[in-house]
Amino acid sequence: MVRTIARKEVIEMLRDGRFRLLAVFVLVLSAASFAAGWRQYVDVQRQHLQAQQETRAQWLNQPAKNPHSAAHYGMYAFKPKSRLSLVDTGIDPYVGVAAWLEAHKQNEYRYRPAQDRTAIQRFGELTAAEGFLVILPLFIVLASFTAFAGEREQGTLRQLLSLGVSRRDLVTGKALGVAAALACVVIPATLLGVVALAYTSEFAGIREDLPRAALLAGVYLVYFTIFAAFSLGVSAWVRSSRAALVVLLACWFANSLLATRAASDLAAWLRPTPSAIEFQRAMDHDLSNPEEMRVRLEHRRQELMREYRVASIEAVPINFSGISLQEGEEQGNEVFDRHYGRVFDTYRAQNRVFQWTGIAAPMLPIRALSLSLAATDFAHHRDFVTAAEAYRRSIQRVMNDDIALNSRPGVVYTAESTLWSRVPEFSYRLPGAWWALRGNQIALAMLTVWLVAALVFASSATRRLAVE
Amino acid sequence: VTVFVTLVRHEWRSLTADASLSLVCAVFAGAIAYGTLNGVRWVTFQRQAIAEALDEERERFEKHEAEIVRINRENASVSAFADPRNPDAAGRTLGARYAVLPPTALAPLAIGQSDLLPYYFKMTTDAKETVLAAAELENPHRLLAGRFDLAFVLIYLYPLLILTLTYNVLSMEREQGTLVLALSQPVPLRALVAAKMMLRFGVLLGALIVMTLSAIAIGGVDVAAPDSSLRLAWWVLAVALYGLFWFAVAAAVTSLGRPSATNAMALAGVWLILLILVPSALSMTATATFPVPSRVEMIQAMRVASDEANAEGSKLLAQYYEDHPELATGDEQQAMNDFNMVRVAVNSEVEQRVRPVLDRYTQQLAAQQRVVSGARFLSPAILMQDALNDIAGTGTARHREFMKQVEDYHQRWREHFIPLVFQKAKLQDYAGLPRFTFEEEELSTVTRRVALSWFGLALPSLAIGAFAFARVRRYPVVG
Repeated sequence: MVRTIARKEVIEMLRDGRFRLLAVFVLVLSAASFAAGWRQYVDVQRQHLQAQQETRAQWLNQPAKNPHSAAHYGMYAFKPKSRLSLVDTGIDPYVGVAAWLEAHKQNEYRYRPAQDRTAIQRFGELTAAEGFLVILPLFIVLASFTAFAGEREQGTLRQLLSLGVSRRDLVTGKALGVAAALACVVIPATLLGVVALAYTSEFAGIREDLPRAALLAGVYLVYFTIFAAFSLGVSAWVRSSRAALVVLLACWFANSLLATRAASDLAAWLRPTPSAIEFQRAMDHDLSNPEEMRVRLEHRRQELMREYRVASIEAVPINFSGISLQEGEEQGNEVFDRHYGRVFDTYRAQNRVFQWTGIAAPMLPIRALSLSLAATDFAHHRDFVTAAEAYRRSIQRVMNDDIALNSRPGVVYTAESTLWSRVPEFSYRLPGAWWALRGNQIALAMLTVWLVAALVFASSATRRLAVE
Repeated sequence: VTVFVTLVRHEWRSLTADASLSLVCAVFAGAIAYGTLNGVRWVTFQRQAIAEALDEERERFEKHEAEIVRINRENASVSAFADPRNPDAAGRTLGARYAVLPPTALAPLAIGQSDLLPYYFKMTTDAKETVLAAAELENPHRLLAGRFDLAFVLIYLYPLLILTLTYNVLSMEREQGTLVLALSQPVPLRALVAAKMMLRFGVLLGALIVMTLSAIAIGGVDVAAPDSSLRLAWWVLAVALYGLFWFAVAAAVTSLGRPSATNAMALAGVWLILLILVPSALSMTATATFPVPSRVEMIQAMRVASDEANAEGSKLLAQYYEDHPELATGDEQQAMNDFNMVRVAVNSEVEQRVRPVLDRYTQQLAAQQRVVSGARFLSPAILMQDALNDIAGTGTARHREFMKQVEDYHQRWREHFIPLVFQKAKLQDYAGLPRFTFEEEELSTVTRRVALSWFGLALPSLAIGAFAFARVRRYPVVG
């Protein structure tokens, strides 16, 4: 019986021209968005990999010079693009693409790609994620709002039930019908995504990205289930199909467009971001602390004299200027960790607000999970920033140690390419899928709450399905 | 006319008896209040940041001027980097001044691009790209989500509320059987539709304007500032025309004589296409046809150029003297060993070499802008966004004007310091350093741009409205 009902649903939908049109439309849209995402990923990734090699070559080809000038010359860190950004670009347009790794300073990531685009991008980008999370739910709504309300209006519901069809069979059949309709769109769209991913094999690490891709598909499916269950529930619950449609469209709008913006402003209200000038001023204030520096240096001096059992710092067989430069770095690093840490923690707290408000709209947790699994959220950005900063610090240490060990006070000292090549190449590995999920426990919990709530609502609304 | 008045009065009675109008108004009021609050909070934040910047500048100037007095008095020796009298140090760090784009009085009406594009720069003699790379701190997730401001409420929510109130104006009466009853009286169908639509339009627009004006008045927006009243009038006109467009669309769909559910679906489809699909497809097309290369390329080009220029060093200075004989002071031989002077020459060389790369970014972005400007008439939402941002002074055009003035300022700043560096001058105070004040665009320029949006909204509204007017004659009253 269930199979008959499901078959009837599918046939009905397939015969409906509007439905076919809509399905084709969604597929064209996802093809276009995967193509655009793929293009962008490949272009940017190629540029960044090439630039990363160039910056390394420039570093290695430095002429003989003092290690500290080399430290000032520094290198650039170019943020790699994650493979799954072709599904969800996420925050990539809104964070800088590169930072200069130089002596004494942790620099910010400059040049947000969004600044090189026009104002209409603020309407939203046509990414595959946008298609899956915004457009596809609308498709689900249209496929299911008449499921029960329509039968009731036409009087066929009474007929069906009088034939002895159990309510449970009817509901299961309808649900399967919607699922089949959804599958007509989702399966080809997913295949398109797989093809797009397969064409990125020129870049290393495709195997490591597979769990992320699988999990991404998994959470999207959960989201579709929530929407389908909710829509069927509403269709059973309200009196007319017109009312079902209006209620569902209103919910779709509130969830897809209203919720993220409302949560964004709420988050900034609860955890305000400081202004750049305020941030810079406080950091500069802490950085210029000659008194602390004097104490630190004195401490190091005493330590060295004790270590080498000599009475004056001149008698220590290493050049103190290297030690002093390194102490300057250490002092700076503490300040950077504190100040950048505070701003980054503010962002994290704001993003937690986004996730908690997910209790009001499933878009918020699914969005957080989508960004995180695509490695295009702030947590991943921060992970990269931290790795690049650790690398900057390692460069400083190599340079300063060399000054301390090999140079003599008052003598002009230059180092050669052997020193430059002693700095290892910068390599960054994306954290695994598990790491991404662990940072989004609230979102996972919220999504589960929604899934359970939608299923409970659907089953209770259909159980009480009124004939009139 | 009397029939019309009676119709309106009757419609008013049935509209107020229904819960949907009060529900729509409540949603609207809440959204407007929240949107205004967010706009006001953001502008307050910007003003505070600007005040903080100017305060930092004042404090720094006081400190360095006091230091100059001390050095002169004690005849102290200080390193060139920390010497506030040294024009090179002053121009590069110590005497840096802020160039500020102040938010307009009506900025809370639309946050626009102002959360993304920088509104203050710390001016130095560094390369222009370094100076202009500054950006305000912001959680990228918030930039991605966009703001819940008044413009969002108007562009997205306002049409939806219009559609909620209008999707079933005739179909409902027909489905209930009251349409036949009404038309058995001497009432033309067109008058009935017109009365229903106009009443809803009037009520919604009136509520919107009253609610917004009271919200911004409570929020402390300075409506008495120069130009503000005129800008507010432009705003009201834009809002009215955007509403007119959506009423026309609703009337056209109504006139096709389909059942309420079909109407709702069709209107939701139009809304989806005009607000989500057209803008994002257009954005995608513009970036795909005129892609702006990643700035990574620019960074590398600048690095290569400056490596090469630095290697040539003093040779470039000799060349620079040939190009700028007015700067020669007679001891060029000595100048060749002067770090500061060599740097001026090196910087100028670097800028010349990377200019072509930089120009490409500007050209590509301008080409994108042209595509978007031409195609924006495809969606009233884009026109509305343009108009609202322009009126609030938070759009791309005003920011471009700001950037132009900042670039001029950078030029002036350099021209002020370079001769001083070459003369080895010693600054005695910082009062004479070039200042920046943003020259606001003429209101007529803004009006011209906004007027284009008005036409872009009005013409399709009239065309669609005319279609509805003609088509409604064939409305299936029974069925």
